[in-house]
Amino acid sequence: MIAALRNEREGLADPDLADIDRVLAGDVQAFEGIVRRWQGPLINMAWRYCRDRDRAEELAQDAFVRAWRGLGQWRRESSFSTWLFALAANVFRSDLKRFPAVTVPLDDSPEPSGQASQHNTLQKELSHGVVRSAVLALPLRYREPVVLFYFHEMDVAAAARTMGLPEGTMKARLSRARALLRRRFPQLETQHAETEFSATHKGKEA
Amino acid sequence: MNRTKTDRHDMASSQIDQILTTEVPLVPSSGFLASVMERVREEAAAPPPIPFPWKRAVPGMVVIAGVFGWGAVELVRYGLPSLDSSALVPPHLSAAVVRSLEQAGWVGLALGVTLLSWLLSRRLADRSGLL
Repeated sequence: MIAALRNEREGLADPDLADIDRVLAGDVQAFEGIVRRWQGPLINMAWRYCRDRDRAEELAQDAFVRAWRGLGQWRRESSFSTWLFALAANVFRSDLKRFPAVTVPLDDSPEPSGQASQHNTLQKELSHGVVRSAVLALPLRYREPVVLFYFHEMDVAAAARTMGLPEGTMKARLSRARALLRRRFPQLETQHAETEFSATHKGKEA
Repeated sequence: MNRTKTDRHDMASSQIDQILTTEVPLVPSSGFLASVMERVREEAAAPPPIPFPWKRAVPGMVVIAGVFGWGAVELVRYGLPSLDSSALVPPHLSAAVVRSLEQAGWVGLALGVTLLSWLLSRRLADRSGLL
């Protein structure tokens, strides 16, 4: 989604810059363009932090209001999206510190369903939901890197910029988080192997 | 086929990658844009926050700092000789050891004050949403 938004803008004058200039000149209405363009990414980012739709919208709204207040402080050294995501991450982090999202401890989260129901799309989606919810049960220092890494479509550099961390630290935390998830869901290894095997087998039969 | 542990970990990671990247994006609710703009307009219409009255506060702060500084100097001037002669210091310790202990005490006190002020400023910044 984010990559698509960036690609869409290549070669065009940045509409954010024009709107920001207007807002800073006193035109409050110009902020609507910014909200319109970034509401989707910010709500989806907040959703990954809390997995609660209503709360995600509240968090995104808080982030936009904070962005409106702090627009004059954006130094234009980095892109507007980098600044906005970093600000939103700060808002989400501090809000979730005060009112943590409801999570099940990592070791108590339910197991994804077995291979027998793999062909059932609904069942598969449910088991994927279990893995996604398990991310929220990770310790705080590993949870946010995972959330941001996948939100940024597996772009380590972008996730590191959003968190304000060096890339090396981000990679180390991601690696540890994945190890925790692998340990919690060991069946993912066998499932993947079996999916691969059946795909190869079908290919040969055809 | 024998797969190594690393291979299995890579596969599990790619499975996790696949699950966590393929999420159906949420579409903002119809009233979201309007409610954000309403809050922004409210913020814009609100009077600016009253600035901290530095002009009035600075003289008071200077006086308080002066009183504390003077108190500390007096404490050192009158407190230390009595401490030296007190029975708190074991008689078998040499003067050099006592002096280094005293210096360590001051360093410890300074570190404590620094830590306290850092914790206080962090707490204030956190409360005001700066962190």
